[in-house]
Amino acid sequence: MILAWVNDVYEGIGSFLTGMRTTGRFLVENLRNEGGAAALTRQYPEQPAEVVGDRQRGHLVNDAKRCIICHACDAVCPVDCFRMAGERDGDNKIRASLFDIDLSKCIYCGLCVRACPTDSLSMTATFELDPRHLGQRFLFRRNSSQLQQHLDAPDMDRLHRLAAAPREQLSADDRTWLEAHIDAEGPHLIGIYGLGYFTPEQKQVADAEREAKKKAKDAAAAAAKAKAASAAAAAAAAAAAAAAAAAAVPAASPLEPQRTPPDGASP
Amino acid sequence: MNGLGYGVDGLSHWFVGIGMPAWLAVTMAVLLLWIAPMLVVVFPIAALGQIFERKIAAAIQRRVGPNTVGLDGPLRFAFRAILCFLPRARQDRVFAAFCKLPVVRTILKVSQRLGLGQLVADGVKMLGKEDIVPSGADGLVFRMAPYLALVGAFVPFCVVPFTQHMVMLETSVGALFAIAVSGIVVVALKMAGWGSGNKWSLLGGMRAVAQLVSYEVPVGLAVAGVVLWCGSMDLHVIVGQQYQPGVFSMVGWNLLQSPFLLLLAVVFFIAGLAECQRSPFDMAEAESELVSGFNTEYSGLRWGMFAMAEYTEMLLIGALFATLFLGGYQSPLCEEWIVGLPVLLETFVHLALFVGKVAVTFLVMMWIRWTLPRFRVDQVMRLSWLKLVPICLVCLLGLAVTMVSSGGTVLGAPFGRLPASPHADLGLIGRLVAWAIPVAVVLGLVRASRKKHGQLHPALRQLTGGGS
Repeated sequence: MILAWVNDVYEGIGSFLTGMRTTGRFLVENLRNEGGAAALTRQYPEQPAEVVGDRQRGHLVNDAKRCIICHACDAVCPVDCFRMAGERDGDNKIRASLFDIDLSKCIYCGLCVRACPTDSLSMTATFELDPRHLGQRFLFRRNSSQLQQHLDAPDMDRLHRLAAAPREQLSADDRTWLEAHIDAEGPHLIGIYGLGYFTPEQKQVADAEREAKKKAKDAAAAAAKAKAASAAAAAAAAAAAAAAAAAAVPAASPLEPQRTPPDGASP
Repeated sequence: MNGLGYGVDGLSHWFVGIGMPAWLAVTMAVLLLWIAPMLVVVFPIAALGQIFERKIAAAIQRRVGPNTVGLDGPLRFAFRAILCFLPRARQDRVFAAFCKLPVVRTILKVSQRLGLGQLVADGVKMLGKEDIVPSGADGLVFRMAPYLALVGAFVPFCVVPFTQHMVMLETSVGALFAIAVSGIVVVALKMAGWGSGNKWSLLGGMRAVAQLVSYEVPVGLAVAGVVLWCGSMDLHVIVGQQYQPGVFSMVGWNLLQSPFLLLLAVVFFIAGLAECQRSPFDMAEAESELVSGFNTEYSGLRWGMFAMAEYTEMLLIGALFATLFLGGYQSPLCEEWIVGLPVLLETFVHLALFVGKVAVTFLVMMWIRWTLPRFRVDQVMRLSWLKLVPICLVCLLGLAVTMVSSGGTVLGAPFGRLPASPHADLGLIGRLVAWAIPVAVVLGLVRASRKKHGQLHPALRQLTGGGS
């Protein structure tokens, strides 16, 4: 019986020491910064995030220069994370004046990228969020005045110079200028986190949009009703008129494929 | 010997001299000389222990641990508070200039790497939390428990000799006092469990009581062994017993006096670990079974007090371990020279050595915590009653036999290399024999037991593919 007891204690001590040796090795390795934590941990905000592969759906990016506010993305989006508005510029082309992607809603499904007719929407290969690694291109909130900035060459030089320097070292003047102009070039990410982040102007826009959508819906419903009522009576006449019109249009003018903003309430 | 005690007398006389009533003078002197060092030494170390533990845990689990929150935030806050009469921009400019000093910059950098600011951040967070007392709770008991836990953890420190001159209470029952007072923690945990009005808490409290009561036995027996060997319960005398002149003053430590004392030290450490409810003995808060055990219902500072009490108790076990077995504040080498240093310098060196020893035991406790999984309740009980207590009893017997067979002792006189009883000195050969016989017996027993029981059951061997 005593021998069994001694054996028990002996084995207990043995297995305890085995465990202690393993963890002790980890402890020493980590304290000396070899392998372990140093190798396994990426210090995220200091080091850039890792790119996993080209097909990764990292972030939704909109190139505002190509965007025509056609609402195709809005139509396919399963979670309604877009808010957009357009304006006509000097050439009478529709340009984005507001394009917000609510990143707290977006599920990164990529449907909007497929729907986009001008390839302005795309998904990045990285999920990087820290502006330090994005060349200061990330933006959470964007207003129309920023989108309409047009920079000439000296301005561009200044922009590059300021964007490369650490923010803390900039003078107050430079910083305000940079913040007003940044993201005027190239693809960028636009997003708002949560609904509490609207500025008063954005709130107005969003409300107006919702109102307009509701009105359009009501109008469409009323029109459909009216159409259904008059359809039976005017069927023949309408058919004839339509045929005539179809024959006439191609000859009249080369019609451009027109994408109009349905309810582009510009701020 | 009792420098601070003398200091209390002197200081209170001085206070009386400047016209204070006697009771106030004594209170002030005690506050300044006894309680202030406690708050300045033990409190911060116990708090630092949490950061220390987080770093150690991270290293063992191959993580990085806290490395972001430095001391610059609290410092900036302090600057703003001090310079509140200046405008904000001026304050910040002064602060920036201050941070540019090389020393400050280094300190800030190191503190950030170690995550020292986490301490302040956690403290502020705890201060800001809502203080919740559950509606079913027994309010008074619920509120009392954290204070009692703190008392049980802090009060025993007053008999621990920090250095030769920093002993708050020199009493002939020091060892007994430390064990007895730290027993208050049992009551505190039970009160917390009962007062919470929560079944998990109650179960945790009951487990805590069962565990603490059974582990008081091996702790008591281990201390009894040391008391037997040294002939005194006064911790300061026990430290004095371990003094050894010459270069290798380590030889005098109780740990190396006898194989039985070595075993007792191991037992004391394990049982002490169980006493302060540390993993693998954290039955009382077993979070996978009891949510968080006795402190489930506690939040904010009340919870913080329990955490503080736990770390303080770890410190206490470390301090007692160092005092009883590792020669207290004495240096492992050349103690003779250090004793000869000027008083202030000597006090400083001794304090540093003591804190170093406590830190090492602290480290081993954490190492164990992050290595072993939690025991089951029955395993905990079995370890205490079937393993630790028999080992203690055998060791006590062995110590007694060693002492008697090496010339006997005068009743009540200390044993070892004491001038009081020079006839009981073992000498080199005697010491070698005293080591050789028990070690030989243990090795023989282990050998025999391995021969008989060391092999796996045949069926198991088939399963695991041989080997034992």
